[in-house]
Amino acid sequence: MLKFVKRVLVFIIAFGIIIAIQSRDDIYASEVNTDNETIMEAIEELRFYSSYNYQTLTEDKLSQLIVDFYLPVRYGDVLIDWQLESEYVELGTETETIEINSITGYVEVEVLKVTILEVPSVFKGDQVFELLASFEYLDESVEYSYFGTLVPQISADFLGGATYTLIRYFSLFVEGALLTIGISLVGTVIGFVLALFIVTGKTLNIKDFESKASKITKQVIKKVSSLYVIIFRGTPMIVQASFFWFGLGLFGNALLCGLFVVSLNTAAYIAEIIRGGIQSVDSGQTEASKSLGMTGSQTMRYIIFPQAIKNSLPAIGNEFVINIKDTAVLSVIGIFELFNQTRKIAGMHYRQLEAYLIVALIYLFLTYTVSSILRQVEKRLDMPLKELPSSN
Amino acid sequence: MENILQINNLHKYFGELEVLKGIDLSVSKGEIISVIGSSGSGKSTLLRCINFLETPNNGEIIFKGKNYVTNQNDLQELRKRISMVFQSFNLFNNLSVINNLCLTPVKVLKKEKKETFVKALEVLDLVGMKDFAYKSTKLLSGGQKQRVAIARSLMMDPEIILFDEPTSALDPEMVGEVLDVMKDLAKTGITMLIVTHEMQFAKEISNRVIFMHEGIVHESGLPSEILNNPKEERTKLFLKRFL
Repeated sequence: MLKFVKRVLVFIIAFGIIIAIQSRDDIYASEVNTDNETIMEAIEELRFYSSYNYQTLTEDKLSQLIVDFYLPVRYGDVLIDWQLESEYVELGTETETIEINSITGYVEVEVLKVTILEVPSVFKGDQVFELLASFEYLDESVEYSYFGTLVPQISADFLGGATYTLIRYFSLFVEGALLTIGISLVGTVIGFVLALFIVTGKTLNIKDFESKASKITKQVIKKVSSLYVIIFRGTPMIVQASFFWFGLGLFGNALLCGLFVVSLNTAAYIAEIIRGGIQSVDSGQTEASKSLGMTGSQTMRYIIFPQAIKNSLPAIGNEFVINIKDTAVLSVIGIFELFNQTRKIAGMHYRQLEAYLIVALIYLFLTYTVSSILRQVEKRLDMPLKELPSSN
Repeated sequence: MENILQINNLHKYFGELEVLKGIDLSVSKGEIISVIGSSGSGKSTLLRCINFLETPNNGEIIFKGKNYVTNQNDLQELRKRISMVFQSFNLFNNLSVINNLCLTPVKVLKKEKKETFVKALEVLDLVGMKDFAYKSTKLLSGGQKQRVAIARSLMMDPEIILFDEPTSALDPEMVGEVLDVMKDLAKTGITMLIVTHEMQFAKEISNRVIFMHEGIVHESGLPSEILNNPKEERTKLFLKRFL
């Protein structure tokens, strides 16, 4: 059972990191399939005009339509025959003349108006339509297609705004959430491993009959471990993150640097948790182990540590939940985890209330779910041994 | 008879308090010694000092010709040969019954895993706990735990087993099963040092009974002598309560 959970978690982290690292490809990159360079140039120079201030629309802008737009009737001497079929937009039949502000002053352009009949709802998402242009050029008949995309618009009311934000930017939220979980989980796991070393250092046993050199070494290790815990528990993670990233530029990669900071920070906390766990193990366990001839380190490894870690598991799991919340701090060094992703989303339409309410709910969902899963795991761990154990 | 453990003038302090005030004791091979006395008389401390769970302050503990009070960097060597059974069992909570038995022979005595495993089952059979081999120690009753603890100490093939009030933490109906196991063990000729409050049991099982009071050995002799006709006033006073 535990192995299965482990595998799933590893998969989730890997998946999260891959998604986060990949940059999003443009979905509607238009295809240009022609072998004639002059035609290419002609098409490239073909302009569209927005009904908003008669701005020139590049092909790029055609993919983010929210207002009506105009199609030029001719390019130079070439008459262009436009065709458009969509339930959302309609191509007018009457030729109009509009004035466009260019470098040489106002120019008049003959155009056909394309009217938006219906703004697509956020549930239906972007609506792509195809614009067909056919014209005669240098005795050749050319057909070319453009793709325009109608974008749903955010409504002014709170509920509509929240729905829009959630649905439209769902993938961004998911990306952020996966990165948050990934960093938290990897950070907790690495932190746990580091914590084992720190605890070992902190709980070193110095015996009377040891050599002077070994005593001094152990003393130094103990002091360094204690100092580590004091420093990392005594400073805010936001300061640690800024120090290592802006100050030292560690790894040259903000994500790795953030992971590093979370790991070190968590290690300090988990070390203290495990130390408490060790102290809570009944002293009779040590006595029994020693009375059977085990050395101090064997006792630690086979008897005390396993029990201490089992005792500390709930608290360590808790550390993971805390990390899910605390990694929001990493937004300061430019990692687009869940919180930073939300800031980006909130900025797109200046709709803060909706975005931050949604992210609060997502965080709540994450922490609650993880807590529940951890509780189940704890329950399972308390069950009696059933399978045949591999005799140590 | 061969003398395997010799204790000379053993002193132990807890801070200001002197718990052992010069104990002399020699243990012969195969001897079964019961140590009796009231609480605070130093019986348990004596046993724990022999295994160095408490470090003696002064004196000699000579096992196989080596004084371990002055050679404390080699305690593992001593503990391999002298194992201990505790009042509170102290089974390893993180291990199943069989692994409680197998851990130390494999890790300390470097024995073969398979061999140890087979032997563990045999020893468990001996204490009547074979059916519980794969159970968690949490599921056992006190008496069962103590039987497993005895089995665990037997796995080390010890030359001496120290029993520190093995039945004091048990319900009365469970005392019998543990004492029976110890009686069976006594027949095998192993050397045993037993701190106990079970006078009848001490009389039956031991070759020698030691009465301790306020950190010294007050009286020592055959069980019938000590328990039936004690010479010292203290011993009489103590035994009165058990009659």
